[in-house]
Order: sequence, then structure tokens, then C-alpha cells
Amino acid sequence: MRKTVGMLLAGGVGSRLSILAKKRAKPAVPFGGMYRIIDFTLSNACNSGVRVLGILTQYKPLSLMDHIGTGAAWDYIGRNKIAKILPPRTGEKEFDWYRGTADAIYQNLDFIRDFAPERVLILSGDHIYRMDYASLINYHKEKNADLTIATMLVPLSEAHRFGIAILDDDRRIVEWEEKPKQPKSNIASMGIYVFNMDVLEKVLKKKLGVDFGKDIIGWMIKNYRVYAYPFEGYWRDVGTIQSYWEANMDILDSNSGLDLQNWNLRTNLLEQRRGDREPAYVGAHGSVINSVISPGCRIEGKVVHSVLSPGVVVGKGAFVHDAVIMHDCVIGENCVLERVILDKNVVVGKDTHIGAGTESTVNKKYGDYLNTGITVVGKGAFVPEDMEIGKNVLIFPNVRKEHYPGKKIECGETIEGEG
Amino acid sequence: MKLITLVLAGGRVDELGVFTLTRPKSAVPFGGMYRIIDFPLSNLSHSGIDIVGILSQYNPSELIAHIGSGIHWDIAGRGKGIKMLPPYKGVRASDWYRGTADAVYQNLSFINEHSPDYVLIISGDHIYNMDYNDIINFHIEKNAELTIGFVKVPSKEGYRFGMADIGSDGALADYQEKPEKTKYEWASLTIYVFKTDVLIQALKKNAREKSHEFGRDIIPALMKENAKVYGYKFNGYWGYTKTIEEYFATNMDLLGEEPKINLASWGVKTNIYGRYNHDLPPSMFASTADVEDALLGRGCVIRGKVSHSVLGYNVVVEKGALVKDSIVMSDCIIGEGTVIENAIIDENVRIGKNSVIGEKKITCIGKDVVIPDTIRIGAGCVVWPFTRENAFKEKNIAPGTTVGGEEI
Repeated sequence: MRKTVGMLLAGGVGSRLSILAKKRAKPAVPFGGMYRIIDFTLSNACNSGVRVLGILTQYKPLSLMDHIGTGAAWDYIGRNKIAKILPPRTGEKEFDWYRGTADAIYQNLDFIRDFAPERVLILSGDHIYRMDYASLINYHKEKNADLTIATMLVPLSEAHRFGIAILDDDRRIVEWEEKPKQPKSNIASMGIYVFNMDVLEKVLKKKLGVDFGKDIIGWMIKNYRVYAYPFEGYWRDVGTIQSYWEANMDILDSNSGLDLQNWNLRTNLLEQRRGDREPAYVGAHGSVINSVISPGCRIEGKVVHSVLSPGVVVGKGAFVHDAVIMHDCVIGENCVLERVILDKNVVVGKDTHIGAGTESTVNKKYGDYLNTGITVVGKGAFVPEDMEIGKNVLIFPNVRKEHYPGKKIECGETIEGEG
Repeated sequence: MKLITLVLAGGRVDELGVFTLTRPKSAVPFGGMYRIIDFPLSNLSHSGIDIVGILSQYNPSELIAHIGSGIHWDIAGRGKGIKMLPPYKGVRASDWYRGTADAVYQNLSFINEHSPDYVLIISGDHIYNMDYNDIINFHIEKNAELTIGFVKVPSKEGYRFGMADIGSDGALADYQEKPEKTKYEWASLTIYVFKTDVLIQALKKNAREKSHEFGRDIIPALMKENAKVYGYKFNGYWGYTKTIEEYFATNMDLLGEEPKINLASWGVKTNIYGRYNHDLPPSMFASTADVEDALLGRGCVIRGKVSHSVLGYNVVVEKGALVKDSIVMSDCIIGEGTVIENAIIDENVRIGKNSVIGEKKITCIGKDVVIPDTIRIGAGCVVWPFTRENAFKEKNIAPGTTVGGEEI
């Protein structure tokens, strides 16, 4: 690990996460009560002993930069452990934004060279998983590889979304298909690469293209030793509203493989004074079943099969079911919330029902994102009292009382407010 | 105006028994994720006090680790800081602190180094929310030499406190230290604002005496000299933690719909890196969880029933277990089917399956204890810290029994 530099690509736009990723990069989207998605990769890096980590940001990086801070939360502190945020920059020739994964690394070769590493570990900040990168690097060394790609088995029906590898008996990649329409295997790339530094420099200088998966790996398997490291275990992309919701619910299922208790996850407790939150309180009439409750929550109602971030208040008689509720939301008395995702600071007036109705009409405007019955309420939105809001409804951030056309919002509607 | 603060945090207080074996009272955990001293330190932080000295003596390592650089209370940086002031050996001064006044006397150099106009002296072991600027401004307005904070108590409780008769202008008409009987209703909070020169003079005079306490010696001496001693009346919540019963009752004031101790609005701060906190996830409630009127720190796993209780960080309550009217500090495991009632359980205690602990009178379990399966520990029992399974030779521990502690 001493001779490895980690490069974490944290630029993700996350457009399919709809309004959850409207004001923040996908790696900064809150997850699992008190984490952000990038915490999984940062914790893996910390727990695997990666000493130098460059973090490449691009899309709406403010939440992310706040969150990473000095890196001390993940033990990046002291003389030999460095986490550095590397935003795009203007130079004499290269003045552009990062145009792809390979381009982002290319533009930061000088940062990597400063540490004179033997290997470069390239990571993405978009995924929920636990991996020991030390074991990946040992595998890379054992195989005497020039490039090792972490891979996992996916259902063949899903394989078209990934870079797909075809292997020989030694697990050397002999064929590569980037997002193939008719995949020849189900061994999928996780977007995690270990390059030998000299090979990485040579290959990037050839300017084969801006993206590792699309432009570079296919060429490399013919000219270098490229191997596939087999990863087994929980891994989720959480790139859609449905998969984001499902992964949150996986925390509540002890057989899912996603185990917050034992993954040694870390997050930045100093960000927004999260560590100062008082202990959670469940009231005399409150009830919490099969749920995650973060510090600072006050539960006077009933919470079932839900994930609550810090500072959420659930009023008396309210019922919260199958929900992901982010920081400091206030759910009024006697509300019913079913299959909802509330972004931070949402206030729901009393006696309101969100996720009502049995029919699932796909969202009329954003059907590509909202089509599984989940209703999403954006950051800081207000939902007035005594409303009935259907399924697959999208309520934009900062929507106010006057933006609602009436007391009933049918399934599949969108309340955009001022946009 | 320049002011520094000294926090008296050294005392052990025998009444808290097994909970103050490894730490001074000010470092005893409170309210799930805090230690008692977090409350005065948070008050200092909110009051904008920059220079704080902490006088500690009894087994201070947990306290020192907890306070760290002071950054958690924002009392760190240029011209700000929390300094630990343990007893030391010097050319002349060379002794353990012989009382609260002696502790301050031995640290006159700390006061002189900052040359303040006023010295605020508080103790590190009460639960309250106060803006010290109120008492400081009162002191300055009255041009007092000493101002003492007071809270109203029933006069029959007066035998435990310093009791005063406060005149209508705020001047102290009389002061009695722990009087057997009194008609006064104002009890000292052991919060003092001194003019620095008055404090130094009083301490120097007292140094020649045999007893060195603010309440017993310094205040009566100043009253006798007709010094300008004033009483500041505090109307807020005041939580004592001096005895087991008080400590228990004060913890219970965290519970309820409108708790007397409102942690969120008080803005209590603590050392968030205290116990590998980085690695603790939010609390998990299983499908068998049944929790009512309970406060829970981060990282708890609840599979059983918890009622009217305060739980620290990382507490596991297994299926079929019941924790009722109890305080369970961090890192404890309550085994399947075990019933805990009216108990205070210190950190890192593991209790096996189907045991019964406590009844009506409070039962105390010290830290790092392992209790085996199917043990019955009666009301008012005390189990010493570091007691292991093999110390429980019988299945039934009669009420009032003490277990362990032989090697301590």
C-alpha cells in the first residue's frame, strides 16, 4: 500500500437520482441515516491503508468539499497520510473540465507523480460496498498484471449496463465489451482499477480517449497484462430512485449483506455539527420497529421499516412506513407516510397522507425516474396539513404552500414550484 | 474587563461509589453520550469564556482524555484554551490539594499569568444551563467583591448546602455552611465570581488555617470582614449528581415529552471522538424492538424492550430482554431474556441470558463487569468494577450485597 496512490473519482452527476442530486454530486447524496454515499469508498480507503488519496470533484462540489474537510475523519491526517481535493483547473493547454475518467486522471498526473508510486488505484465515489483494496493490490502483484480491474458477477439481464470481461483460465481478460447489447459474459467491471504507474503514464499519453471503459481497456488487453479481480459481496450502484431506496432498506435486512454495524464506516462528524446531536429519543407513545434511527431524532409516533437521518421529528399519531427521511425533517401529528423519500429539512403539516393510493401511475413528467411507486420530496419543501398526496409524485425543493393546486395531489403528479 | 474561569473537577465523592472508582465525578457519563463536566463546559462555551483552568486531582486520566485540547467546546485557539491543572511538586508548594480553596491557592500562578480583573469559579459536577454573563454582569453592576450563585430549595434540604439569606438589593445578609437546621431557602450553587485581588487576599489568609474550603472557610471569613458579598438568584433547572439517588433522578429528567433537561435547546457539546465514535452507525431497532420513553446514544442495537431508561453509545439489548427505569452506559450488552430494573450499569458491562438485576432500590454495576447467565441480583446490590463471571459463586445475590472489589 505504501507504493500506491489512490484516485477517487467523485464527480458524478447522478441525474437519474432526480432532485436528490440536483444540488449535490451523487457521492454527496445522504445515505443510511448519517452517511453520504462517498463515505463507503472513503472508509474502504481508510480501512485498507491507502495513504495518499486524490479526490477529483467537478459537479456541484460544495457539499462534497464540506463533507471531506481535511480528511481527518478518515484518518487522513499527519505527515504521511494525505487526502487532497483536486478540482478541475485551467492550464496553458488543458483548460477544460474533466471530460471522462481517463481524462480526469490524465489532468492530475502531476499530483500522482509527486509521490512516485509504483501503482495507482482508481476508485469511484458512487457505490455502496465494502472492499479491502489491499487484497485487490496483492492480487494485482501476484498476477504480475499491468492493469487489474475489480469485477463481480451480475445477472446477465443487467450486464448491458456494465463493462463486461471475458477471461481465460488465469482470469486474464481476453475480450472486453463496454455496455454490450448482447453480453457474452456476466463478469462486470466495478469501475475500480489498479494500474502500474509506468503503464498508466504510457497509455494515457497515447490519447486513446477520455474514458477508461470506453476507450482504453479494450486496447490495453491486446498490449498489456490485464486481469480481473473477483469481488464477492454486497455492491449497489444506487443510481436510481428505486435502487437508492432499496439499498437503504437493505440496511434493515440482516441477510442483505449490507451491515452498517460491522463495516467500520466513518463519516465526518464535524460537518454541520453532526456529532453534537443529542441522543435519539423515543416517546412514551412512540414506537420504532425494524428501523435505523440517528442521533437527535424525536419519535412520538410510529416508525416501521424506515431509515431516519439525524434530527427527524415524528409527531404523535404519525405513521412512517418504508421511508427514507433525511436530516431535520418534521413530520406533523397523525401524518401517514408510505414509500417516500424526504430530502433534508422537509416539513409536513399534520394529518397529511403521502404515498396514498393503490394504483401506481408512473410520474407523468419524469417517468424515467419515478415509476415504482415511491414519492420524493425535495430539500426544504413544505407540505401543508391535511393533504393527500399519491404515489410517484415528485415535489421539488423549496416548494411552498401556494404552489399546491389543491388538497389532493394525484399519483404521478409533479409540484415544481419555482423550479 | 478580563475574566478567567477555574473549574473544580477533582473530587471523587464517595457517595457515587463504584462509578467514581476510575474517574472523578465530573467525568462520570451522563445522559447517554455526555460526561457531567460537559454541562459546565458547554455553558462556558456559550458564555464566550476564553480561558479555563480545570483543577483535577482524583484519577484524572479519563477526564484529561475527554477534555483534550478543548476544541470540542470551541475553547481553543489564539488567546483561548482549557488547561488541566493537576497538583504538582514545586520548590515550596508541594502537596495534594487539601480542599477547594487550597486547589485554587496552589494555582495562583495560573491566575497571575493572565492577570484578570475577575475570576469565575465553578464546579464541574452539576447539570444546568446558565449564561455566566448574567452573574458576571450582576457582580460588576453591584460592584461586589464576591458574588455567589444560588437556587431555591426547600429549607428542610438546607443541611446539605451552603444556605443564605439574600437581602432585597442582592447583598448577602447571612451565610451558613450546611446548617443542621435553617429557615433560609437559597442554596449555594458553588458558582463564585471574585474580584481577583479579593480572591488572592482571602486565599493567602486562608492558607495559614487548617481547613481550605470555599463554602466552609472563605465565604464565612469574607462575611465576617464585611466584604461586599452578593447573591445571584438562578431560576433555571439545577440537577445534582452527588448521590446515587440524585444521579439517577437527574438522568430521568432527560425523559418525557417536555424534559426538564432539554439537550437540544441547551446545545450541550461533548468530545465526539471520545470512544471510537467515528465507527458507530446510527441505532438499529429490530422487528422485535419495543421502546418507549427512552434516550439512546448512537450505535445501539435494540431487539428487546426498553422503557423509561437512558442508554449510552453502542448498547445491545437482546431479544426478550427488558430494561426498565434504568441507566445503561456505553458499550454494554444485555443478554436474551435478562430483566434490568432500577439499575445503573456503568460502561462495558456484559450481562448473560435470563438474569434478573435490580428491583425497587437502585442496584449499581461498576464498569468492565461480566455477569453470567441466570443470575439474580437483588435490590440495592453493588457490583464492583472489573468483577468477572467467577466472582458470582451463587445464583442468587441477596438484596444489599456487595460483589467483587476484593482486589481494589
